[in-house]
Amino acid sequence: MLSGMAQPALHVHDLAVVLAGRPVVRRVDLDVRHGEFVTVLGGNGSGKSTLVRAATGLVPTTSGGVELFGAPLGDFRDWHRIGYVPQRPSAASGVPATVREVVSAGRLSRRRLLRRLARADRTAVDAALAAVDLADRAGDSVAELSGGQQQRVLIARALATEPDLLVLDEPTAGVDLAHQRLLTDVLAAHSVRGVAIVLVAHELGPLARLVDRVVVMRDGRVIFDGTPDAEAAAFAHTHDHHHPLDPHVTGLTGADVLGTGWQAGGTR
Amino acid sequence: MSLLSYDFMQRALVAALLTGLAAPAIGTYLVQKRLALLGDGIGHLALTGVALGLLTGQAPLLTAVVVAVAGATLIEVLRLRGKANGDVALALFFYGGIAAGVLLTGLAGGSAATLTSYLFGALTTVSDADLVLVAVLAVLVLGMSLGLAPQLFAVCQDEEHARVSGLRVDVYSVAISVLAAVTVTLAMRTVGLLLVSALMVVPVAAAQQVTRAFRATLALAMVLGVAASTSGVLASFYADTAPGPTIVLVALAGFATASPLGGLLRLRRRTRAPFEDEDRTDAAALVHELTEQHPHQHGEGCGHVAVEHGDHVDYVHDGHRHVPHDDHYDEH
Repeated sequence: MLSGMAQPALHVHDLAVVLAGRPVVRRVDLDVRHGEFVTVLGGNGSGKSTLVRAATGLVPTTSGGVELFGAPLGDFRDWHRIGYVPQRPSAASGVPATVREVVSAGRLSRRRLLRRLARADRTAVDAALAAVDLADRAGDSVAELSGGQQQRVLIARALATEPDLLVLDEPTAGVDLAHQRLLTDVLAAHSVRGVAIVLVAHELGPLARLVDRVVVMRDGRVIFDGTPDAEAAAFAHTHDHHHPLDPHVTGLTGADVLGTGWQAGGTR
Repeated sequence: MSLLSYDFMQRALVAALLTGLAAPAIGTYLVQKRLALLGDGIGHLALTGVALGLLTGQAPLLTAVVVAVAGATLIEVLRLRGKANGDVALALFFYGGIAAGVLLTGLAGGSAATLTSYLFGALTTVSDADLVLVAVLAVLVLGMSLGLAPQLFAVCQDEEHARVSGLRVDVYSVAISVLAAVTVTLAMRTVGLLLVSALMVVPVAAAQQVTRAFRATLALAMVLGVAASTSGVLASFYADTAPGPTIVLVALAGFATASPLGGLLRLRRRTRAPFEDEDRTDAAALVHELTEQHPHQHGEGCGHVAVEHGDHVDYVHDGHRHVPHDDHYDEH
């Protein structure tokens, strides 16, 4: 394990992504170490979502490279070390499924074909459900839950994997403030245990006190990479405040603050 | 059980049983992927396969399997590469398949009756050789859709998460399409190509009216599928109707029964469900709503449904919740 620790959990080198002829990520370098909690901020169209999708192999890279735990993305096979929360409005599909069934899918990267769920799998699923405060809804259909609760189901599915790197793409959209705090604490606890966390968000919110590093993107480039305090100082002149806990800026987004994203349409 | 003394009837019933098990099993995944109409498109394509068999003198069941599997693979590969809008691509295959099928059947000298027997099923057409092939294909479909259930569930539920879990989403997606194609052809003789998709979708739609879990939906859909296909075959024997439409109408009757039942179950669950954890102080301050005075004294065994709500008990009364408070009732 120690030899593995020498490598960063995620190593992104000179990465470029072009989608449908349009550059979305341009020459980005990013290293995330074990136990580091990094937030990627940016407005709509800043490329923050595409960056993490390219890092997990969901979007083809145009140039540059991605390494997960020292292995180039194409050769990486230890998918049980990655927990991923996609940006989705809902955890439901065309057929009913219980909360437990959806969260159990988080164990697939650790299960062999044609094997039943082992005790370790069930323990991990129970722990993940408890972590997002949904243990009492385990037997309910996900379609019956509210949007915020469904987001917590998707987060529980990633936690159930017991990953070494957690990648979350705007996981707290639609989650109420109390549960945002709860989730933040859960993530911080994982981070302390050595799990590397990359969290894409619109705004820092309750995360500010817990993240180690803030990466701000604009137009596909990293325009800031440093501590939350330094980020607050660096962007203080663009706007009085941009922490959403501040009552009179609630409703404003990172895009407003950074002055980007108005023309860009959907999240990239 | 005199009808079981007919050989063709025994074969038709076994074929219906296998079809009734396999079609909803794979159909559950199609519905989950929101591709409920895929089976229809493949059915139309398989007609071209049947016609090729008639034209070349090969067994139509065999040529139908080959053409349907090839077409299903093509549709899925196009969809995965993002080259085809699923909706329009399916429509093109629909029309091409049925047009080529009818044209080629005509060239082969087949009559409208031949065509009808493939489109809507015919009890007397299941030969011993057919039955063996149907059994082999049914075992394949059931083995894959039950054995790989966790993987197929994950791929149909959330393709992106499945990919980051290291699953070969492309392989599983093509597998689902191929299994659907195989199912279409094995159902050809009992339900017919035009209606086979109904046996993949209708039992699933009926099952999910009353279920909350994926596994339960899958299992109940298979039970309903078998019930509809076997009773449909029996009914078509006595009423002298085409088996396909009979089976589908029986399945739809199942849906019509399940749907209001499901509505009742959901209502019952909702009235009895405890409230979400709410900020008690806020909620109590905002919603202190007094109900009208009424003579009834709520309490244990008063006949109203009791629901735990934090530190007290609510009583469901005409669809709202009452809680005793001093000399009156609050609405919760």
